Amino acid sequence: MDSGPGDEVLLLAVAERDMGAFRTLYERHAGWLAVRLARRCNDRDLVADAVQDTFVAVWQKPRGFRGDGDIAAWLWGIAIRRLVSRLRARGGVVAVLESAGVAPAAEDQVLLSVEYGDIGQALARLSPEMRAVIQAVVLDGLTAREAAHLLHVPVSSVKTRLYRARAHLRAALAEGPS
Amino acid sequence: MTGWHLDDDMLRRYAGRTDSLAEGASAEQHLLSCGPCRARVGAAASVTGRSVIDFAAVWDRTRDAVEVPRPSVFERLLRGAGLPAAEARLVAVASAFRGVWLAGVAAVLVFAALAAAFGHARGVWLFLSVAPVAPCLVVAAGYDPRMDPALEPELVTPYPVLRLVLLRTVAVLALALPAVLLFGLVVPGETAFAWLLPAVGFVAVVLAASTWVSPLRAAIAVSSAWLGVVWLLAARSGSPDAVLQGRAQAGFLALAAASFSIFLLRRRRLRQLRPWR
Repeated sequence: MDSGPGDEVLLLAVAERDMGAFRTLYERHAGWLAVRLARRCNDRDLVADAVQDTFVAVWQKPRGFRGDGDIAAWLWGIAIRRLVSRLRARGGVVAVLESAGVAPAAEDQVLLSVEYGDIGQALARLSPEMRAVIQAVVLDGLTAREAAHLLHVPVSSVKTRLYRARAHLRAALAEGPS
Repeated sequence: MTGWHLDDDMLRRYAGRTDSLAEGASAEQHLLSCGPCRARVGAAASVTGRSVIDFAAVWDRTRDAVEVPRPSVFERLLRGAGLPAAEARLVAVASAFRGVWLAGVAAVLVFAALAAAFGHARGVWLFLSVAPVAPCLVVAAGYDPRMDPALEPELVTPYPVLRLVLLRTVAVLALALPAVLLFGLVVPGETAFAWLLPAVGFVAVVLAASTWVSPLRAAIAVSSAWLGVVWLLAARSGSPDAVLQGRAQAGFLALAAASFSIFLLRRRRLRQLRPWR
Protein backbone atom coordinates (compact mmCIF):
# COMPACT_ATOMS: atom_id res chain seq x y z
CA MET A 1 0.00 0.00 0.00
CA ASP A 2 1.81 3.09 1.17
CA SER A 3 5.06 3.62 -0.58
CA GLY A 4 7.65 5.99 0.77
CA PRO A 5 10.81 5.06 2.63
CA GLY A 6 11.09 1.59 4.11
CA ASP A 7 11.10 0.97 7.86
CA GLU A 8 14.87 0.51 7.94
CA VAL A 9 15.38 3.91 6.34
CA LEU A 10 12.97 5.47 8.82
CA LEU A 11 14.73 3.84 11.73
CA LEU A 12 18.07 5.19 10.57
CA ALA A 13 16.52 8.65 10.33
CA VAL A 14 15.11 8.24 13.85
CA ALA A 15 18.61 7.43 15.04
CA GLU A 16 19.55 10.83 13.58
CA ARG A 17 16.78 12.36 15.71
CA ASP A 18 14.41 12.95 12.80
CA MET A 19 11.02 13.67 14.33
CA GLY A 20 9.26 13.45 10.95
CA ALA A 21 10.53 9.93 10.36
CA PHE A 22 9.54 9.03 13.91
CA ARG A 23 6.03 10.27 13.25
CA THR A 24 5.79 8.24 10.04
CA LEU A 25 6.99 5.15 11.89
CA TYR A 26 4.37 5.75 14.55
CA GLU A 27 1.59 6.18 12.02
CA ARG A 28 2.64 3.06 10.20
CA HIS A 29 2.90 0.78 13.22
CA ALA A 30 0.88 2.12 16.15
CA GLY A 31 -2.39 0.84 14.71
CA TRP A 32 -1.67 -2.84 14.34
CA LEU A 33 0.42 -2.89 17.52
CA ALA A 34 -2.53 -1.49 19.46
CA VAL A 35 -4.91 -4.05 17.97
CA ARG A 36 -2.57 -6.89 18.74
CA LEU A 37 -1.94 -5.65 22.28
CA ALA A 38 -5.66 -5.17 22.85
CA ARG A 39 -6.09 -8.87 22.12
CA ARG A 40 -3.92 -9.51 25.20
CA CYS A 41 -5.24 -6.89 27.55
CA ASN A 42 -8.72 -5.55 28.18
CA ASP A 43 -7.59 -2.26 29.62
CA ARG A 44 -7.39 0.29 26.79
CA ASP A 45 -5.45 2.76 28.91
CA LEU A 46 -2.78 0.16 29.52
CA VAL A 47 -2.62 -0.63 25.82
CA ALA A 48 -2.19 3.08 25.08
CA ASP A 49 0.57 3.31 27.68
CA ALA A 50 2.31 0.28 26.22
CA VAL A 51 2.19 1.76 22.70
CA GLN A 52 3.63 5.00 24.04
CA ASP A 53 6.37 3.16 25.94
CA THR A 54 7.21 1.18 22.83
CA PHE A 55 7.81 4.23 20.69
CA VAL A 56 9.68 6.04 23.44
CA ALA A 57 11.95 2.98 23.64
CA VAL A 58 12.39 3.06 19.86
CA TRP A 59 13.36 6.73 20.02
CA GLN A 60 15.86 6.08 22.79
CA LYS A 61 17.44 2.99 21.27
CA PRO A 62 16.78 2.89 17.54
CA ARG A 63 19.96 0.90 17.11
CA GLY A 64 18.51 -1.88 19.19
CA PHE A 65 17.31 -3.26 15.87
CA ARG A 66 20.15 -5.33 14.57
CA GLY A 67 18.94 -5.63 11.03
CA ASP A 68 17.84 -9.24 11.29
CA GLY A 69 14.25 -10.02 10.37
CA ASP A 70 11.36 -7.61 10.20
CA ILE A 71 11.19 -4.35 12.03
CA ALA A 72 7.58 -5.21 12.77
CA ALA A 73 8.67 -8.30 14.70
CA TRP A 74 11.22 -6.25 16.62
CA LEU A 75 8.56 -3.67 17.47
CA TRP A 76 6.18 -6.34 18.65
CA GLY A 77 8.87 -7.82 20.87
CA ILE A 78 9.26 -4.44 22.55
CA ALA A 79 5.53 -3.78 22.73
CA ILE A 80 4.52 -7.04 24.42
CA ARG A 81 7.24 -6.61 27.02
CA ARG A 82 6.23 -3.03 27.68
CA LEU A 83 2.69 -4.24 28.20
CA VAL A 84 3.90 -6.87 30.62
CA SER A 85 5.90 -4.37 32.61
CA ARG A 86 2.98 -1.93 32.68
CA LEU A 87 0.79 -4.75 33.96
CA ARG A 88 3.37 -5.59 36.56
CA ALA A 89 3.54 -1.98 37.71
CA ARG A 90 -0.20 -1.57 37.99
CA GLY A 91 -1.21 -5.04 39.08
CA GLY A 92 -4.78 -6.15 39.43
CA VAL A 93 -5.76 -5.63 35.81
CA VAL A 94 -7.04 -8.83 34.35
CA ALA A 95 -5.72 -9.56 30.91
CA VAL A 96 -7.87 -11.08 28.23
CA LEU A 97 -8.01 -14.77 28.76
CA GLU A 98 -10.06 -15.65 25.77
CA SER A 99 -11.45 -13.95 22.71
CA ALA A 100 -15.01 -12.93 23.56
CA GLY A 101 -15.91 -16.57 24.07
CA VAL A 102 -17.39 -16.99 20.62
CA ALA A 103 -17.06 -20.51 19.31
CA PRO A 104 -15.83 -20.67 15.74
CA ALA A 105 -18.61 -21.24 13.25
CA ALA A 106 -18.82 -24.58 11.49
CA GLU A 107 -17.42 -23.26 8.25
CA ASP A 108 -14.45 -21.79 10.10
CA GLN A 109 -13.79 -25.16 11.61
CA VAL A 110 -13.68 -26.67 8.15
CA LEU A 111 -11.40 -23.90 7.00
CA LEU A 112 -9.17 -24.50 9.97
CA SER A 113 -8.91 -28.19 9.47
CA VAL A 114 -8.05 -27.55 5.86
CA GLU A 115 -5.52 -24.91 6.72
CA TYR A 116 -4.04 -26.23 9.88
CA GLY A 117 -4.96 -29.85 9.88
CA ASP A 118 -5.80 -31.30 13.24
CA ILE A 119 -3.89 -28.79 15.24
CA GLY A 120 -6.60 -26.15 14.93
CA GLN A 121 -9.19 -28.45 16.43
CA ALA A 122 -6.83 -29.63 19.08
CA LEU A 123 -6.15 -26.04 20.07
CA ALA A 124 -9.84 -25.22 20.05
CA ARG A 125 -10.48 -27.95 22.59
CA LEU A 126 -8.06 -26.53 25.11
CA SER A 127 -9.50 -24.66 28.06
CA PRO A 128 -9.28 -20.86 27.84
CA GLU A 129 -6.57 -20.78 30.51
CA MET A 130 -4.40 -23.21 28.60
CA ARG A 131 -4.93 -21.37 25.35
CA ALA A 132 -3.90 -18.13 27.01
CA VAL A 133 -0.69 -19.74 28.20
CA ILE A 134 0.04 -21.26 24.79
CA GLN A 135 -0.53 -17.89 23.21
CA ALA A 136 1.75 -16.06 25.62
CA VAL A 137 4.59 -18.56 25.72
CA VAL A 138 4.54 -20.34 22.38
CA LEU A 139 3.18 -17.67 20.05
CA ASP A 140 4.38 -14.48 21.71
CA GLY A 141 7.63 -15.99 22.88
CA LEU A 142 7.41 -14.66 26.42
CA THR A 143 9.26 -16.27 29.28
CA ALA A 144 7.23 -18.05 31.94
CA ARG A 145 7.76 -15.12 34.28
CA GLU A 146 6.57 -12.56 31.73
CA ALA A 147 3.58 -14.71 30.84
CA ALA A 148 2.74 -14.96 34.54
CA HIS A 149 2.61 -11.17 34.80
CA LEU A 150 0.56 -10.86 31.63
CA LEU A 151 -1.98 -13.44 32.71
CA HIS A 152 -1.84 -12.49 36.36
CA VAL A 153 -1.18 -15.98 37.65
CA PRO A 154 1.80 -17.44 39.50
CA VAL A 155 4.79 -18.59 37.46
CA SER A 156 4.24 -22.14 38.64
CA SER A 157 0.71 -22.10 37.18
CA VAL A 158 2.07 -20.99 33.82
CA LYS A 159 4.49 -23.90 33.81
CA THR A 160 1.87 -26.43 34.87
CA ARG A 161 -0.67 -25.20 32.36
CA LEU A 162 1.88 -25.21 29.59
CA TYR A 163 2.88 -28.72 30.47
CA ARG A 164 -0.72 -29.90 30.53
CA ALA A 165 -1.57 -28.06 27.32
CA ARG A 166 1.30 -29.77 25.55
CA ALA A 167 0.20 -33.15 26.86
CA HIS A 168 -3.33 -32.43 25.67
CA LEU A 169 -2.19 -31.44 22.24
CA ARG A 170 0.08 -34.43 21.94
CA ALA A 171 -2.73 -36.77 22.93
CA ALA A 172 -5.22 -35.06 20.61
CA LEU A 173 -2.84 -35.25 17.68
CA ALA A 174 -1.95 -38.87 18.32
CA GLU A 175 -5.62 -39.75 18.53
CA GLY A 176 -6.43 -38.05 15.23
CA PRO A 177 -9.50 -35.92 14.45
CA SER A 178 -12.63 -37.08 16.17
CA MET B 1 6.23 -12.07 0.20
CA THR B 2 3.53 -14.49 -0.81
CA GLY B 3 0.44 -13.50 -2.73
CA TRP B 4 -1.67 -14.50 0.24
CA HIS B 5 -3.26 -11.76 2.33
CA LEU B 6 -5.80 -11.46 5.08
CA ASP B 7 -9.23 -11.16 3.52
CA ASP B 8 -11.73 -8.66 4.86
CA ASP B 9 -13.58 -11.28 6.82
CA MET B 10 -10.48 -12.48 8.63
CA LEU B 11 -9.50 -8.90 9.25
CA ARG B 12 -12.86 -8.18 10.83
CA ARG B 13 -12.67 -11.29 12.99
CA TYR B 14 -9.12 -10.51 13.99
CA ALA B 15 -9.84 -6.94 15.04
CA GLY B 16 -13.09 -8.01 16.71
CA ARG B 17 -11.35 -10.88 18.50
CA THR B 18 -13.90 -13.41 17.28
CA ASP B 19 -11.34 -15.64 15.62
CA SER B 20 -9.91 -18.85 16.98
CA LEU B 21 -6.46 -19.14 18.47
CA ALA B 22 -5.05 -20.88 15.43
CA GLU B 23 -6.53 -18.36 13.01
CA GLY B 24 -5.38 -15.44 15.13
CA ALA B 25 -1.89 -16.87 15.40
CA SER B 26 -1.62 -17.33 11.66
CA ALA B 27 -2.92 -13.80 11.06
CA GLU B 28 -0.34 -12.40 13.47
CA GLN B 29 2.45 -14.35 11.85
CA HIS B 30 1.41 -12.96 8.49
CA LEU B 31 1.15 -9.42 9.84
CA LEU B 32 4.76 -9.44 10.98
CA SER B 33 5.97 -9.75 7.42
CA CYS B 34 3.27 -7.93 5.47
CA GLY B 35 3.18 -4.13 5.50
CA PRO B 36 -0.02 -3.73 3.48
CA CYS B 37 -2.01 -6.02 5.80
CA ARG B 38 -0.59 -4.20 8.84
CA ALA B 39 -1.78 -0.94 7.34
CA ARG B 40 -5.25 -2.41 6.84
CA VAL B 41 -5.39 -3.58 10.45
CA GLY B 42 -4.18 -0.18 11.56
CA ALA B 43 -6.82 1.54 9.47
CA ALA B 44 -9.51 -0.73 10.91
CA ALA B 45 -8.24 0.10 14.39
CA SER B 46 -8.45 3.85 14.03
CA VAL B 47 -11.96 4.21 12.63
CA THR B 48 -13.35 7.25 14.38
CA GLY B 49 -15.82 6.44 17.09
CA ARG B 50 -14.56 2.97 17.95
CA SER B 51 -10.86 3.47 17.80
CA VAL B 52 -8.85 0.99 19.88
CA ILE B 53 -6.92 3.79 21.54
CA ASP B 54 -6.71 7.52 20.94
CA PHE B 55 -3.78 7.47 18.52
CA ALA B 56 -3.47 11.25 18.30
CA ALA B 57 -3.31 11.60 22.08
CA VAL B 58 -0.80 8.76 22.41
CA TRP B 59 1.34 10.39 19.73
CA ASP B 60 1.30 13.69 21.62
CA ARG B 61 2.34 11.98 24.83
CA THR B 62 5.04 10.01 23.06
CA ARG B 63 6.46 13.15 21.45
CA ASP B 64 6.39 15.00 24.76
CA ALA B 65 8.13 12.09 26.45
CA VAL B 66 10.99 11.96 23.94
CA GLU B 67 11.45 15.72 23.76
CA VAL B 68 12.02 16.05 27.50
CA PRO B 69 15.68 15.37 28.24
CA ARG B 70 16.20 12.00 29.85
CA PRO B 71 16.62 12.12 33.61
CA SER B 72 20.12 11.38 34.82
CA VAL B 73 21.05 7.95 36.12
CA PHE B 74 21.01 9.31 39.65
CA GLU B 75 17.57 10.81 39.22
CA ARG B 76 16.20 7.55 37.88
CA LEU B 77 17.78 5.78 40.85
CA LEU B 78 15.98 8.14 43.23
CA ARG B 79 12.69 7.56 41.43
CA GLY B 80 13.29 3.86 41.63
CA ALA B 81 13.66 4.29 45.38
CA GLY B 82 10.12 5.64 45.44
CA LEU B 83 10.69 9.40 45.36
CA PRO B 84 8.10 11.32 43.30
CA ALA B 85 9.45 12.56 39.98
CA ALA B 86 9.41 16.26 40.92
CA GLU B 87 11.33 15.70 44.14
CA ALA B 88 13.82 13.42 42.46
CA ARG B 89 14.54 16.28 40.05
CA LEU B 90 14.97 18.75 42.93
CA VAL B 91 17.37 16.49 44.74
CA ALA B 92 19.33 15.51 41.69
CA VAL B 93 20.01 19.02 40.36
CA ALA B 94 22.22 19.77 43.36
CA SER B 95 25.61 20.78 42.09
CA ALA B 96 27.21 18.26 44.39
CA PHE B 97 26.00 15.62 42.01
CA ARG B 98 27.53 17.18 38.99
CA GLY B 99 30.33 14.73 38.73
CA VAL B 100 33.14 17.23 39.17
CA TRP B 101 32.44 17.58 42.83
CA LEU B 102 32.22 13.92 43.55
CA ALA B 103 35.29 13.26 41.46
CA GLY B 104 37.25 15.84 43.44
CA VAL B 105 36.24 14.45 46.78
CA ALA B 106 36.95 10.92 45.57
CA ALA B 107 40.41 11.95 44.38
CA VAL B 108 41.32 13.45 47.76
CA LEU B 109 40.12 10.29 49.49
CA VAL B 110 42.07 8.07 47.13
CA PHE B 111 45.27 9.93 47.90
CA ALA B 112 44.63 9.75 51.61
CA ALA B 113 43.74 6.07 51.50
CA LEU B 114 46.77 5.25 49.37
CA ALA B 115 49.08 7.12 51.72
CA ALA B 116 47.59 5.21 54.63
CA ALA B 117 47.80 1.89 52.81
CA PHE B 118 51.52 2.32 52.27
CA GLY B 119 51.90 2.14 55.98
CA HIS B 120 53.12 5.63 56.71
CA ALA B 121 52.01 6.72 60.11
CA ARG B 122 51.48 10.11 58.54
CA GLY B 123 49.32 8.51 55.86
CA VAL B 124 46.96 7.19 58.48
CA TRP B 125 46.78 10.65 59.99
CA LEU B 126 46.07 12.09 56.60
CA PHE B 127 43.24 9.66 56.03
CA LEU B 128 41.86 10.33 59.46
CA SER B 129 41.87 14.06 58.89
CA VAL B 130 40.24 13.93 55.46
CA ALA B 131 37.70 11.12 55.63
CA PRO B 132 35.49 12.46 58.46
CA VAL B 133 35.09 15.92 56.94
CA ALA B 134 34.56 14.85 53.34
CA PRO B 135 30.86 13.96 53.78
CA CYS B 136 29.99 17.23 55.51
CA LEU B 137 31.75 19.29 52.83
CA VAL B 138 29.82 17.48 50.12
CA VAL B 139 26.56 17.87 52.03
CA ALA B 140 27.15 21.59 52.47
CA ALA B 141 27.89 21.93 48.77
CA GLY B 142 24.67 20.05 48.18
CA TYR B 143 22.50 22.88 49.44
CA ASP B 144 24.55 26.01 49.66
CA PRO B 145 22.85 28.62 47.47
CA ARG B 146 26.18 29.98 46.32
CA MET B 147 27.23 26.58 45.03
CA ASP B 148 23.97 25.95 43.30
CA PRO B 149 22.30 28.71 41.28
CA ALA B 150 19.44 26.29 40.56
CA LEU B 151 18.56 26.44 44.25
CA GLU B 152 17.33 30.03 44.15
CA PRO B 153 14.08 29.46 42.31
CA GLU B 154 13.54 26.39 44.45
CA LEU B 155 13.86 28.38 47.63
CA VAL B 156 11.28 30.98 46.63
CA THR B 157 8.74 28.29 45.83
CA PRO B 158 6.58 27.25 48.76
CA TYR B 159 8.40 23.93 48.85
CA PRO B 160 9.45 23.09 52.42
CA VAL B 161 13.13 23.96 52.66
CA LEU B 162 13.65 21.54 55.50
CA ARG B 163 12.49 18.66 53.38
CA LEU B 164 14.69 19.72 50.53
CA VAL B 165 17.77 20.03 52.70
CA LEU B 166 17.18 16.71 54.40
CA LEU B 167 16.46 14.91 51.14
CA ARG B 168 19.63 16.26 49.62
CA THR B 169 21.63 15.40 52.70
CA VAL B 170 20.40 11.84 52.71
CA ALA B 171 21.03 11.53 49.00
CA VAL B 172 24.56 12.91 49.31
CA LEU B 173 25.35 10.60 52.19
CA ALA B 174 23.97 7.66 50.26
CA LEU B 175 26.50 8.47 47.57
CA ALA B 176 29.43 9.64 49.65
CA LEU B 177 29.44 7.19 52.54
CA PRO B 178 29.78 4.00 50.47
CA ALA B 179 32.62 5.63 48.55
CA VAL B 180 34.46 6.63 51.71
CA LEU B 181 33.77 3.20 53.20
CA LEU B 182 35.29 1.58 50.15
CA PHE B 183 38.47 3.61 50.47
CA GLY B 184 38.47 2.87 54.18
CA LEU B 185 38.91 -0.79 53.34
CA VAL B 186 42.32 -0.01 51.89
CA VAL B 187 43.48 1.54 55.13
CA PRO B 188 45.07 -0.92 57.53
CA GLY B 189 43.88 -1.40 61.06
CA GLU B 190 40.88 -0.09 62.89
CA THR B 191 41.39 3.38 61.52
CA ALA B 192 39.39 2.26 58.53
CA PHE B 193 36.06 2.87 60.20
CA ALA B 194 37.00 5.22 62.99
CA TRP B 195 35.94 8.21 60.94
CA LEU B 196 32.35 7.01 60.54
CA LEU B 197 30.88 8.49 63.72
CA PRO B 198 32.87 11.72 63.47
CA ALA B 199 31.60 12.06 59.89
CA VAL B 200 27.98 11.69 60.98
CA GLY B 201 28.58 14.13 63.82
CA PHE B 202 30.09 16.73 61.49
CA VAL B 203 27.25 16.46 59.02
CA ALA B 204 24.81 17.10 61.86
CA VAL B 205 26.88 20.08 63.05
CA VAL B 206 26.86 21.55 59.56
CA LEU B 207 23.10 21.13 59.35
CA ALA B 208 22.65 22.83 62.71
CA ALA B 209 25.12 25.62 61.95
CA SER B 210 23.48 26.35 58.65
CA THR B 211 20.54 27.76 60.57
CA TRP B 212 22.91 30.61 61.49
CA VAL B 213 25.47 30.85 58.73
CA SER B 214 25.74 29.56 55.19
CA PRO B 215 26.22 25.79 54.98
CA LEU B 216 29.49 26.05 53.16
CA ARG B 217 30.95 28.40 55.75
CA ALA B 218 29.81 26.02 58.47
CA ALA B 219 31.43 23.07 56.75
CA ILE B 220 34.69 24.92 56.28
CA ALA B 221 34.71 25.95 59.93
CA VAL B 222 34.02 22.38 61.07
CA SER B 223 36.73 21.02 58.80
CA SER B 224 39.29 23.54 60.04
CA ALA B 225 38.47 22.70 63.63
CA TRP B 226 38.84 19.01 62.94
CA LEU B 227 42.14 19.53 61.15
CA GLY B 228 43.30 21.50 64.18
CA VAL B 229 42.40 18.68 66.52
CA VAL B 230 44.12 16.07 64.38
CA TRP B 231 47.17 18.31 64.09
CA LEU B 232 47.27 18.72 67.83
CA LEU B 233 47.02 14.99 68.45
CA ALA B 234 49.73 14.26 65.91
CA ALA B 235 51.98 16.96 67.32
CA ARG B 236 51.70 15.45 70.75
CA SER B 237 52.75 12.23 69.05
CA GLY B 238 49.66 10.57 70.34
CA SER B 239 48.62 7.55 68.33
CA PRO B 240 45.62 7.69 65.98
CA ASP B 241 43.93 5.41 68.49
CA ALA B 242 42.98 8.45 70.54
CA VAL B 243 40.04 9.11 68.23
CA LEU B 244 39.07 5.47 68.27
CA GLN B 245 38.58 5.13 71.98
CA GLY B 246 35.09 4.43 73.15
CA ARG B 247 34.82 7.73 74.95
CA ALA B 248 35.75 9.80 71.92
CA GLN B 249 33.36 7.85 69.74
CA ALA B 250 30.54 8.28 72.24
CA GLY B 251 31.34 11.97 72.22
CA PHE B 252 30.86 12.12 68.48
CA LEU B 253 27.55 10.31 68.82
CA ALA B 254 26.40 12.84 71.41
CA LEU B 255 27.57 15.65 69.15
CA ALA B 256 25.51 14.23 66.28
CA ALA B 257 22.40 13.87 68.42
CA ALA B 258 22.68 17.34 69.94
CA SER B 259 23.36 19.02 66.62
CA PHE B 260 20.51 17.30 64.93
CA SER B 261 18.12 18.35 67.70
CA ILE B 262 19.27 21.96 67.33
CA PHE B 263 18.80 21.70 63.60
CA LEU B 264 15.23 20.47 64.01
CA LEU B 265 14.42 23.10 66.63
CA ARG B 266 15.75 25.92 64.49
CA ARG B 267 14.53 24.60 61.17
CA ARG B 268 12.49 27.73 60.47
CA ARG B 269 15.68 29.71 60.32
CA LEU B 270 16.72 27.70 57.29
CA ARG B 271 15.02 30.44 55.35
CA GLN B 272 18.26 32.29 55.82
CA LEU B 273 19.56 30.09 53.09
CA ARG B 274 17.94 32.58 50.81
CA PRO B 275 20.94 34.79 50.32
CA TRP B 276 19.04 38.05 49.77
CA ARG B 277 17.44 38.05 53.17
